[in-house]
Amino acid sequence: MAPLLQIEDLRTDIKLKHSTVHAVDGISLHVDPGETLGIVGESGCGKTMTALSIMNLLPTGGSIAGGSIKLNDVEISQLSDEKLRRVRGNDIGMIFQDPLTSLNPTMTVGRQIAEAVQLHREVSREQAMDRAAEVLDLVGMPRARERIGEYPHQFSGGMRQRVMIAMALACEPKLLIADEPTTALDVTIQKQILELIDELRQRLGMAVILVTHDLGVIAGRADRVAVMYAGRIAESTSTGTLFANPRHPYTEALFHALPEKAAETREKLLSISGLPPDLTNPPSGCRFAPRCRYATDRCRAEDPVLMGETPEHKYACFYPVGTAERGQKAAVTEEPKRAPRPEYAVPAAETLLDVRNLVKEFPVTKGAVMQRKVGFVSAVADVSFEIGRGQTLGLVGESGCGKTTVGRLLVGLDKPTNGVISFEGEDLAKRSGREYRRDRRKIQFMFQDSYSSLDPRMRAGAILREPLLVQGIGSRAEQQKRIEEMLDHVGLAHTALERYPHEFSGGQRQRLGFARALILSPELIVADEPVSALDVSIQAQVLNLMRDLQRELGLTYMFISHDLAVVRYLSTRIGVMYLGKLVEIGPADEVYMTPAHPYTRGLIDSAPVADPELEQAKEEKGVRGELPSAIHPPSGCRFRTRCPLAQEICAQEEPPMRAFSPNGHTAACHFPLQNPVSVGSTSASASQSAAP
Amino acid sequence: MARFLIRRILQAILVLFLVTVFTLALVHLFPGGPIRSLLGPRATVAQVAYYNHLYGFDQPFYIQYFKWVGQILHGNLGFSPKLNQSVVSLIAQDLPKTLILCLLGTVVSLAFGIPLGLYQAVKRYTTGDYILTGVSFLGYATPTFFVGLLLVEWFAIDVHLFPPFAPQGTTVGAILSDPRALVLPVISYAFVLYALWSRYMRSSVMDNLVQDYVRTARAKGASERRVLWGHIFRNSLMSIVTLLGLSLPVLVAGAIFIEVVFNYPGMGLAFYTASLNVDYQVLLGFTLIATVATILGNLLADVAYAVLDPRVRYN
Amino acid sequence: MAVIPPGADPRELGASVAADPALAIETGAPAAPPRSLLVRGWSVFAENKLALASVVLLIIIILFCFLGPVIHPTDQIHTNLDLTLCAPSGSHLLGCDPVGYDELGRLMVGGQTSLEVGFAAAIVAVLFGTLYGAFSGFVGGPVDSALMRIVDAGLSIPSIMVVIILSVVFHPTKIIMIFIIAVFYWLGVARLIRGETLSLRTREYVQAVKVVGGGGGRAIVRHIVPNAIGTIIVQATFAVADSILILSGLGFLGLGVQPPATDWGDMLSGGLTYLQSGTNYWWLIYPAGFAIILTCIAFNFIGDALRDAFETRLQRR
Repeated sequence: MAPLLQIEDLRTDIKLKHSTVHAVDGISLHVDPGETLGIVGESGCGKTMTALSIMNLLPTGGSIAGGSIKLNDVEISQLSDEKLRRVRGNDIGMIFQDPLTSLNPTMTVGRQIAEAVQLHREVSREQAMDRAAEVLDLVGMPRARERIGEYPHQFSGGMRQRVMIAMALACEPKLLIADEPTTALDVTIQKQILELIDELRQRLGMAVILVTHDLGVIAGRADRVAVMYAGRIAESTSTGTLFANPRHPYTEALFHALPEKAAETREKLLSISGLPPDLTNPPSGCRFAPRCRYATDRCRAEDPVLMGETPEHKYACFYPVGTAERGQKAAVTEEPKRAPRPEYAVPAAETLLDVRNLVKEFPVTKGAVMQRKVGFVSAVADVSFEIGRGQTLGLVGESGCGKTTVGRLLVGLDKPTNGVISFEGEDLAKRSGREYRRDRRKIQFMFQDSYSSLDPRMRAGAILREPLLVQGIGSRAEQQKRIEEMLDHVGLAHTALERYPHEFSGGQRQRLGFARALILSPELIVADEPVSALDVSIQAQVLNLMRDLQRELGLTYMFISHDLAVVRYLSTRIGVMYLGKLVEIGPADEVYMTPAHPYTRGLIDSAPVADPELEQAKEEKGVRGELPSAIHPPSGCRFRTRCPLAQEICAQEEPPMRAFSPNGHTAACHFPLQNPVSVGSTSASASQSAAP
Repeated sequence: MARFLIRRILQAILVLFLVTVFTLALVHLFPGGPIRSLLGPRATVAQVAYYNHLYGFDQPFYIQYFKWVGQILHGNLGFSPKLNQSVVSLIAQDLPKTLILCLLGTVVSLAFGIPLGLYQAVKRYTTGDYILTGVSFLGYATPTFFVGLLLVEWFAIDVHLFPPFAPQGTTVGAILSDPRALVLPVISYAFVLYALWSRYMRSSVMDNLVQDYVRTARAKGASERRVLWGHIFRNSLMSIVTLLGLSLPVLVAGAIFIEVVFNYPGMGLAFYTASLNVDYQVLLGFTLIATVATILGNLLADVAYAVLDPRVRYN
Repeated sequence: MAVIPPGADPRELGASVAADPALAIETGAPAAPPRSLLVRGWSVFAENKLALASVVLLIIIILFCFLGPVIHPTDQIHTNLDLTLCAPSGSHLLGCDPVGYDELGRLMVGGQTSLEVGFAAAIVAVLFGTLYGAFSGFVGGPVDSALMRIVDAGLSIPSIMVVIILSVVFHPTKIIMIFIIAVFYWLGVARLIRGETLSLRTREYVQAVKVVGGGGGRAIVRHIVPNAIGTIIVQATFAVADSILILSGLGFLGLGVQPPATDWGDMLSGGLTYLQSGTNYWWLIYPAGFAIILTCIAFNFIGDALRDAFETRLQRR
């Protein structure tokens, strides 16, 4: 069968002020009619530039420097603007990462979809609007015909992405390019959108190019995969083969860096050291060689071609993984794998932090002068939990569930509306100002965005010294010593002290943020999504670091993340939050393997896993619908509006916390997925750990 | 929307209150008080005291304030002894002429500023853009009156193309009867405004050009023309409309200088004459009118923005 | 400078790809000597040739005004009606004005006033506006609301009218002139700095101070001020140009500094009378007029370049 899209030796350059980035450097790939091709890679690998090159939608300074792009055997990379326009939106549709900014804020969604129709079909305005309503209905928009007159900001994130899809599909293109279509969305919505794309692909018989950084997304949705690295394709084959038998060391390393791979054993993750090469001046040999565990002198000198034993499975490597033919230097530089850490099995001896009935409500005000209170957002509603010394509590949930607010309340960035936070047995709120301030050092915070949490006008040295100055610790020389010690701990060279935050890479900045949190020798570190902005390989470096230092320094963590796999990897216990409520909490493996709350189950099923078989098996699962408003949360159980098991009682009564194992596994549900057990006291907050 | 309007109007009223207090306080800044500056240094103490009592300046400030506001609300902005005319009748006589100048200048400046700003954004970093950028910087750096002086020097003195004076006459008809004499004042007026609009339009269009929704429109197959006019132009114009409402103080300043340079018989010239005569009733009356107009302009800008931008409209 | 959203900006891409690997211990390569922000800022500024030329031009103008009278001494105190409106010649390079002052010498003396008042008014206005705006932003709540309504009210009065009234009232000297201009110019500065403060206050690195136990004072002095200083300096640069323009406007209306003192705008008001009489005394117009334009345009270019120089995002390259 002739391929629908055939790309040969595509090269795309982006001109900067003083240099040129070779963002895409000689890639070849094809897409057959009706199939899904996944393009996967880390940030800066050129995957998005490849997608944008196809329809020549490159940003300012970007241009196609060579190669060919054929659609149905017609060269489209050289087409005049006029002719290319007939391809855009007609033969090829495209959707982007952020559906809010990708829609014109001042045009109704109906007009925006109708515009696509009118551009390519000889239809009247009314007919185009009819068609708009039709496709909106097709993409699962409730009350589509009524909503075509609304503006983008009136829709939720998931619904906006549906509008984008409707717009891309209005003219029934043969190919849909989806560039990170779900990265800005929550996992439950992500699953709905990915399913929609898949369903429409089958129904309309179109092909899909799915560009993503997420191996889990690729695993469930793509027929074939191209793995990109530094502007090149490193490996390309069918999805099954890739996940079962990766040949390129980069692909292999990516898999090893995934926290879910080590979730059960909790072995140290195999991170990829170093950073991707500078694409303004790429190295002459294999581009992965500087970071490759198997690299030889040949790799550093010669550039491997993309080829393979079969045409179906190609890789660009001299010493592919899985063959005997490895270089002399095949000595594995990784650390010896450790046995599962015993600490995780041992229950906490002592409660470090005890949170009781924590409530936080943010007022919603109207009027600039009067500031009338017209209601409040219930961000955290009656949450209780404990953290034992040396343990890690992972807090997961979708955006808006209140997990970040809990973290901010713990470190004193916000004041609780109600409830008690006891640290080492003492109520934090009862302390005097000075004591409170001094005690601040014992609970430290790691911010999500390391870039905005580091003062851009301060050198790293000054940033690390500041906590010591504030607390009045040590002489200047002692401070210097402490700072250097911290840099050693987090794996940064001492020369880093003289640098400004913007001179570091994302991973290095997060190390710096970690060092700042550590420098006051805290007992508890609250880490708010510390790795969510990082690529998988860098994420693994930071996770390893956090894990190692916890053991070395005896730290206690509260780890906040939307990513179940990461949370599971690092945590002793997991708490699941939904719309301000803690719905389930318990030992990490128990919560993950045998969840009691339907929401936990749904969350686990929604999160994409880098395993094609598993992904296809859970096709029909996941959480339906959208998050309700936190200003008017549903009565009774807050999850009932999206719960498949909900009955009348769920709307009337708020479910109490009940125990599901003697290990302090509790959940709040009227119809739990397993039977509750009675262990001693089944108090509403029975998170007391047990098993001696 | 209604709630937004009410809130905005309440704010405007508060601002108006503060402004009237400021303005009345200004009166007391006059050396020896308003009466002394009116009567001159030779007036006797008794005379000053008499008039102070007559005009109520010997009363507490808040009583003066309420009296004054009461007068204003009855349409009485004071009386100019120098011109032997009430301030209200002076405004009625001069305002229309000033409005003509402002309107013509604004229209001409917009007619050039918007398209050229758009052109600059589309052809950014080309020679044409650089030249026009130079022109707008010139507009920022040149005093309005100097533009007028130059135009007179070039087109009225060096080349006798246009008269150096604006048309004279007390009626609007008289002003409009000699359109040739209006050319230089309007151009000078428009030049400085042009710099403002074109610069703003350029940056506004450039902001919009790099938005994701523009890429979406291109991905749909829309032509550059359609992208520009159907998507970007509309969204950029929205911010210009707001700017228009906020730029009344600029228009007032322009009117004063242009009217002085060209001896144009409008409110600006009258204000200038009043300042030379220390005719404080006229100065205050005019300032108050211009301020109220500015506040209304700001209010209008907000309302226009709310009407044009659905993000505000449906919130 | 257009605002480019993250991701769409090719420079962002270049920066992340080209991130310096020398810092990671894994590679251990020697790091390039770090440069201070000042040095980086200067390199961005120096790239702007127009701004550099403007700096040179300004230096020349300042030297001309303040050292010029030494080289070209003229009597700028006593009028000399014999020389009324004399045309440019060897002894009077730019001719004479209506009361017989040497126009070239007058340009220097007027320039002194314009520059001194321009700088001083800008400093006073920006200083006060910054303090007011920063205070309002920090305190927040009803106090902020009240303080900002005052600014709103001030900004609603067309400034030129207030300035004219004040000039009528006070018969200004240089010092009074400075305060008359500053008295309304600070309003705009206050509003800008208040906005800046509000946004800086919510930055995570300011919150981070709280987490380590630091108080509000530290956040202001160590984080908010250093990060707002760029905006303040840029604002001050534009303020100088604007102050010179306002002063020249008042001078032109005859409401500026009192004779025998003068400024560039005041010099032009003489020109108007003679233009309206239809005679061509070009030297009454061009020198002073272009002096204003050149000075103001130079400050505008410098302000523009400074804005770029303070932008850390641009310093990355």
